[in-house]
Amino acid sequence: MIDARRVRIEPMAAISIAWIAIALLVCWIAPLLAHLDAYATDVAHAYAQPSLAHWLGTDGLGRDELARLLAGGRITLSVGIVAALVAMLIGTIYGALSGYYGGWFDSTLMRVVDVFLSVPTLFLLLFLAALFNGSVLTLMLVIGFTAWLGPSRLVRGEVLTLKERLYIEAARSAGASDPRIIFRHLVPNAMGTIITTTTFMVATAMLAETALSYLGIGIRLPTPSWGNLLSSAQSDIFARAYWLILPPGFAILISVCAFNFVGDWLRERQG
Amino acid sequence: MGVTLLTFFLLHLAPGNLAQTLAGENAAPAQVARITHELGLDQPLYEQYGVWLGKLARGDLGFSYRRQASVASLIGERIGRTLLLMGTALLLSIVIAVPLGVYQAYKRNTLFDRVASGIVFIAWSMPTFWLGTMLIAMFAVQLHWSPVGGLQTIDTTAFDWRSRMAHLILPAITLAVVSLAGWSRYIRGSMVEQLQEDYIRTAIAKGLPIRAVLFHHTLRNALIPFITVLGGTIPALFGGAIITEQIFAYPGMGQLFWQSAADRDYFTLLGMTVITAVLVILGNLLADVLYGIADPRVRYD
Repeated sequence: MIDARRVRIEPMAAISIAWIAIALLVCWIAPLLAHLDAYATDVAHAYAQPSLAHWLGTDGLGRDELARLLAGGRITLSVGIVAALVAMLIGTIYGALSGYYGGWFDSTLMRVVDVFLSVPTLFLLLFLAALFNGSVLTLMLVIGFTAWLGPSRLVRGEVLTLKERLYIEAARSAGASDPRIIFRHLVPNAMGTIITTTTFMVATAMLAETALSYLGIGIRLPTPSWGNLLSSAQSDIFARAYWLILPPGFAILISVCAFNFVGDWLRERQG
Repeated sequence: MGVTLLTFFLLHLAPGNLAQTLAGENAAPAQVARITHELGLDQPLYEQYGVWLGKLARGDLGFSYRRQASVASLIGERIGRTLLLMGTALLLSIVIAVPLGVYQAYKRNTLFDRVASGIVFIAWSMPTFWLGTMLIAMFAVQLHWSPVGGLQTIDTTAFDWRSRMAHLILPAITLAVVSLAGWSRYIRGSMVEQLQEDYIRTAIAKGLPIRAVLFHHTLRNALIPFITVLGGTIPALFGGAIITEQIFAYPGMGQLFWQSAADRDYFTLLGMTVITAVLVILGNLLADVLYGIADPRVRYD
């Protein structure tokens, strides 16, 4: 089973990595090369169909959809990546401490995770995003803060098996302190799991950001994100502006797919 | 229990004065002070929590000042609609995911399996709100096959079964797709694993029809861990319901939650979180019980 899947998944993983690299490059570099203003309105050319002047057409205020898509991509991709890193940082430290010390400490920490997990993630996200509304930075932190639970469990599991290994005992008998054992020996050895999970978390965080922005609680207009571009496109359907729903949707779908594919591929390679 | 503590203190972490918000931007300070006192907001936080918890123990979820109705009545009015939506979606995903996963495992590594896996992978990464938007654009706006959204046709106030069902189809499909993808991946995986076991080879060797082997022997064993997965999906379904109800303007619990979050209706948020947590815990409990029935080897001490 493994060999058959490997043959199939590798070209897809390559395409996925290429897509991620191209998306990052285009979102950040294209606006420097061409004149693309995501905020300039031109009501006379509202709802223009895709043309040479506006490759993806214009929205209800005559803003260039391509410029908005790229500006939105900068926000969505950076929120996804930073939030995933925040989640992994919290999750790794939490999981590693919990797994390493074990006993009542471990069971208490894991009970806390259980409590958080019994509240739907989107509830927590809506709460926090509505309360600490505003900037891109707080949104990154809010998403990171709700996404660390799964990773902390995985890291804990990994640490539980790793800490029984001989080299950990060797390190301990050589007089290494607990923090040194955790952060110099256990965490680096769990890096495979951590990196794989980070990749999946980027996909999850992007979906969280776009969902919140779609609901009007994440990134707020006029600042574009792939999520709120979609929610405005939804009202544009009634103006028969069908071309506006496709670009942000495909951008989210393909990017999320790409990160999930890379994650799947990394996991297979480890397994 | 832990859930109430968590959400209560999380809510009060919020910046902004509740009484001021309720009284309005230009309210006189005396009026704000009166509301503050009425709500018990001048008490220390732990005392507010105690009062709220005491009411909860007596089945009183509190009163929404924003909506001028008791939280229990607000939720009671909507919970049935949301459970109906979630139930339909759940049924739809199981009915599609299980046979698909089984057939994929049976035909594993053929063209059919690969195409199906690809489609499922895309569905797995699909943002719910985009799928919903596309369904509206296609079936409601372009083809006029189904209504755009809402609970039932507006021009009748009477309860209308057919109209309600018509309004349920697109939201249920939208909500089903996400869990469907995860589940069929899961079922395919555990079926493939089971099919390599010796007892399957024995069953095929003794001449049982393949259908019987697949559905009676393999599926039964593959479904056992799936029951736990099913229980664990309930929180995600609630999350999906918020988005789905928002897309289709379906007046259920998800929409109420979103509105309460937007206008900071604390007690409604708290009440809904408690109810949801209880439902989630019940779901997990039910999964554990079913697990014991499906697999007699499991014993709970």
